[in-house]
Amino acid sequence: MACPHLDYRESDGDREFDTARAFCTVTDEFVQPVHADICNERYGLDPESDCEIFREDAGLDWDE
Amino acid sequence: MTYDEYLDGKPVVITAALTGGIQGKEAHPDLPETPAEIGSAAAAAEEAGAAVVHLHARRDNGERAFSTERFQAVTDAVRDATDDVIVQHSTGGTAAPDALRAEPLRTDPAPEMASLDMGPMNRGRRLTSENTRDTIDGLHTEMRERGIKPELEVFNNGHLNEAFRILDDLDEPPYLNFIFGPGTLAPPSPANLQRMVDQLPEHAEFNVIGFGPHQLPLTTQSLILGGHVRVGLEDNSYLRKGELATNEALVARAARIAEELGRPVATPTEARDVLGVESRR
Repeated sequence: MACPHLDYRESDGDREFDTARAFCTVTDEFVQPVHADICNERYGLDPESDCEIFREDAGLDWDE
Repeated sequence: MTYDEYLDGKPVVITAALTGGIQGKEAHPDLPETPAEIGSAAAAAEEAGAAVVHLHARRDNGERAFSTERFQAVTDAVRDATDDVIVQHSTGGTAAPDALRAEPLRTDPAPEMASLDMGPMNRGRRLTSENTRDTIDGLHTEMRERGIKPELEVFNNGHLNEAFRILDDLDEPPYLNFIFGPGTLAPPSPANLQRMVDQLPEHAEFNVIGFGPHQLPLTTQSLILGGHVRVGLEDNSYLRKGELATNEALVARAARIAEELGRPVATPTEARDVLGVESRR
């Protein structure tokens, strides 16, 4: 499973990479490697509970 | 280390933190990520004056990796590209389970040094590196079994308590690394660094990391206090405001400042002597 907003891209229009990198379709930016572990639901992490971007986009408060 | 030893010209050990695992090429286009890139960066850092290289491993896409296999690829590339530099593997890993955290200790040969986090560190709203006492003791036991010199990562003043707890179990000299930055790291200030140094036993060696703009002033202060320094792109992307750095340039600047202050820069052989590290080259 992975975040529905996660994409892997080699380019964002400005920069090119040899290997496709984690890209957030909400922020339109490449994702930090440590944050990509949330996007990919590694180590028990989960975008719905752990990602500020996901929660803000979904209109979720932190006390929900 | 003490101020008197600074006056006596004791060599300073420069560690280059080449890659880290938090940010990657999305933040800095020249940040080394692949084993070949990290090997090249290590060679350039050694040439500029680094005696130790602090290593993390990554997947091909720059994301974090903890497996022995990925660390083996990185350490092989570094050993092939460098002459004598001391290899230090990270055992840090925000959110990663303990079983993965030990994998970097199991390369062949084992790293000469490894980081050992002394307590929790938060990152952002939900990420944390727990570093329970069980985690600390488990990693430390495996380091002892494999003859790996631990560098005790003191993220803030409270972690000194944990470092002191295991002090008697460490081979001489104990080697502590003070880390200054945002969040749950030690608040960056010269007074805070001085206070932490004042609490160390005299036979301990210490190293200083300052994140971002704190790298230059706090590592310079460490030189005067008789400590060692860590620089590199893991901790700081900029040489000065608006100018992206390279690992090599950050090491060269640290070496230049040390020489100006009368601290000779330790070769890897001298660094092994200062820190009590067993050679595996």
